[in-house]
Amino acid sequence: MTTHFNSGHSAADHSGMDRRHFLKVSGTASAGMSLGFFLPERAHAADTPQLNVWIEIEPNNTIVIRYARAEMGQGSMTSAPMMIAEELEADWKKVRVEYATAHENLRTKRAYGDMASVGSRTIRHSHEYLRKAGATAREMLTAAAAQKWNVPASECKASLSRVTHAPSKRSLSYGQLAADAAKLDAPKNVQLKDPKNWTLIGKSIPRVDIPEIVLGQRSYGIDTQLPGMLHAAVAACPVFNGKVKSMDASKVENRRGIVKVLNMGEFVAVVADNWWRAKEALREVAVDWDVGEHGTLTSAAIMAHFKAGMEQSELAVARNDGNTTDALSKSAKVVEAEYFTPYLAHATMEPMVCTAWLQGDKLEVWSSTQNPEATLAVSAATAGVPQANVKVHPVQLGGGLGRKSPQDFTRQAVMIAKAMPGKPVKMLWSREEEIQHGLYRPASLMRFKGGLNASGKVEALHIRVSAPSILATLLKLPLPRGVDGQAVASFNDHPYDIPNTLVDYAQRNTNVPVGFWRTVGHSQNPFGRECFIDELALAAGKDPVAFRLDMLPNNEKSKRDRSILEAVTKAAAWGSQLPNGVFRGVAETEGYGSWTACVCEVSVNAKNEVKIHRVVIGIDPGYAVNPDNIVAQFQGSVVHGLTAIFWGENTIKEGRVEQSNFHDYRMMRLNEMPKVEVVIAPTGGFWGGVGEPAQAPLAPALVNAISAAMGKRIRSLPLKNHGLTLKV
Amino acid sequence: MKTKHAVSKLESRLRRNGLQTCLLASFSWPWLLSSTAHAQQMNSGRLLSLEDMVRPIVKDAILLNKDLQIEAPLLADNGSLVPIQVQVQSPMSEQDHVTHIYLLSQRNPVTQMALFHLGPWNGRAEVSTRVRLAGTQEVLALARLSNGQFRYKQMEIIVTESACVDAS
Repeated sequence: MTTHFNSGHSAADHSGMDRRHFLKVSGTASAGMSLGFFLPERAHAADTPQLNVWIEIEPNNTIVIRYARAEMGQGSMTSAPMMIAEELEADWKKVRVEYATAHENLRTKRAYGDMASVGSRTIRHSHEYLRKAGATAREMLTAAAAQKWNVPASECKASLSRVTHAPSKRSLSYGQLAADAAKLDAPKNVQLKDPKNWTLIGKSIPRVDIPEIVLGQRSYGIDTQLPGMLHAAVAACPVFNGKVKSMDASKVENRRGIVKVLNMGEFVAVVADNWWRAKEALREVAVDWDVGEHGTLTSAAIMAHFKAGMEQSELAVARNDGNTTDALSKSAKVVEAEYFTPYLAHATMEPMVCTAWLQGDKLEVWSSTQNPEATLAVSAATAGVPQANVKVHPVQLGGGLGRKSPQDFTRQAVMIAKAMPGKPVKMLWSREEEIQHGLYRPASLMRFKGGLNASGKVEALHIRVSAPSILATLLKLPLPRGVDGQAVASFNDHPYDIPNTLVDYAQRNTNVPVGFWRTVGHSQNPFGRECFIDELALAAGKDPVAFRLDMLPNNEKSKRDRSILEAVTKAAAWGSQLPNGVFRGVAETEGYGSWTACVCEVSVNAKNEVKIHRVVIGIDPGYAVNPDNIVAQFQGSVVHGLTAIFWGENTIKEGRVEQSNFHDYRMMRLNEMPKVEVVIAPTGGFWGGVGEPAQAPLAPALVNAISAAMGKRIRSLPLKNHGLTLKV
Repeated sequence: MKTKHAVSKLESRLRRNGLQTCLLASFSWPWLLSSTAHAQQMNSGRLLSLEDMVRPIVKDAILLNKDLQIEAPLLADNGSLVPIQVQVQSPMSEQDHVTHIYLLSQRNPVTQMALFHLGPWNGRAEVSTRVRLAGTQEVLALARLSNGQFRYKQMEIIVTESACVDAS
């Protein structure tokens, strides 16, 4: 297995040669033959059949499989091609993965479909067309062999990149067959393999990018180098949405290496021959900012704004089963609690970075983007060139976490490139810029009211959320019935058998821009939901796991919630004797098409130091495509999640984010990491997401354990605000 | 030529203007709908069929997929401001001209995004505007001719910034 990651930096690429030409069915090249096939589900409305090219087979039997999404560490660049290779019956050792590009997707009217790496959806949204791609190619190769031998195709079998005719003991490699196969019509209907016959899906396959990562050869967006390239450092108004009133760059304009200081209206950019010079000079550009009307905003004012939302008369109703108000008034016992989660910046390891090069009306872009098509659209619109004139070169992302899906930074880079025509310019944000100009996870205030009957059964649950809307403010989407699905995620679709449920929502936007932070609504709402369920269990005098299982009937709706909860609590030996002072917490969640559960064991000493003894976290993703990658995603999610749970918080003062770098926006350290046991319990029959779901049950399971240990309920994050620290 | 953009309920306008759609021989409704938006499983709004979109306007008049051109970007990073230009092949004479151009959305809460009134005085049947799109969808341009017939053209516009819209 070799990988080939040409991120398009070579001079040859720049002379206008495409990385690799797509050879169509009618192709005549002898060096390699691509198998084109028609994918019905991607058929365009204009009834124009589209040839789609995912697979190329070279005469030496190397199989090139294209990957159309971004790779930011989540491993989809391995698992998506695995699905093609499975159906293709390819010898994985001879597979090479290459990026598809957004400009090729545009040229072929989206032959590759959606290219965004968001919402844990690479596998769950593309498994069908990718597997069909592999199966179609396999059928064509088999048919080509059958024709050559003049035998029925049904007597031929494809396996490990060869087609064999057992009766006559003849066999040909895919490399020998590809040219003939490519001349055949693609079959309209193909049979996908029965999961029990999979040989690749379900096996732990090493990620294709490991060798380059280990050797330091992987080319990230930040590594982009072009001949004659300039570097830009930028600063936007510290108060969100503020503008440049005036700028005085006289102090730095004549400095060594400084090429230009740009007033871009919304931000200031220094362009220099290297980034450090640009960044240092930027500190000494005197900018008078017009901060607008939000220069006095504080976290306290935002909290008051959310509190007012709790009392507002007009609320959007996200779910209304039974009559919750009535049922609550008749409950034997009512439990009430308010939970809060803060704003969070993404702090991706690689800050926002984008290189843009405008030559005449042609634009080339190297952006660390989770959504190359959005990059293309924004770049074309910003430069004022046709979309067909834009090339978006794929680069590896140094982390994305949802921050690199919106293209505010690409837009800045292209604005700078437009001001420096003919010159490639790499724009890189400082860490400070990244923390202070995030698209933050929305802060959220959640109020819970639960009603129990005399026997301790939950009869009514009322959840009210007061929080900003990502969909309304960032995407400017109309909200169905006024509800932002992310703001009420895991509330509007809670699986518990509670006859009266009311979920309502006060949309409370502020001047702090919000966006998709890994796991989005599921990163915060389950914290409230699953901690409050524990509060109800306590009020009912029941064991938290038994209490949940009682509310999860073994029916179609909640069977997977039930089975993952059972699998994880069994792995954690829930109910077994624990050492003195050690307490357990549990949570069960669902999201991104998967089901998850977590059990944490903690102790808290007199100095409020939390020792995490054990984290058992599990998932039912339906089919587990690459189990070792799931383990890696879950371990990574625990690092990310614990960072947020213990320290993550962005506060607002004078309209700006108070934190600026890792000294005050702390990341978890290596020695602080607890052991994580990952339970993969796939029940089959569906394809769930993996990149995000793990964070959902982690915070509530951990905080339930801490609350049990302290005998005191923790209802807001981060834990540092409760005087709690993480004990190594 | 830019034509003033006016939004109003078609039917009331038709009544006010005393226009009647021609009732002609029945014909089979064309079919459609690219599955892209469905494939993306973006459930931010219900996707209408073409019939749902045009039937209230066209009623039983003749509707043909010809003579219209839509110019718009295939990709829009954000649905809040998408430029669209529509041209209709028409002599724009007293006898034969375009009277209305509609822009219809498959997904927006309000299907009729724009209605332009035209006449021979326009010289050319060409309009351009910017619309707001609630996600990836087919956008339809519909032209009513002075003889009561309709022409249409559809185009899929991909709203790329669609992260996690379905919240699942």
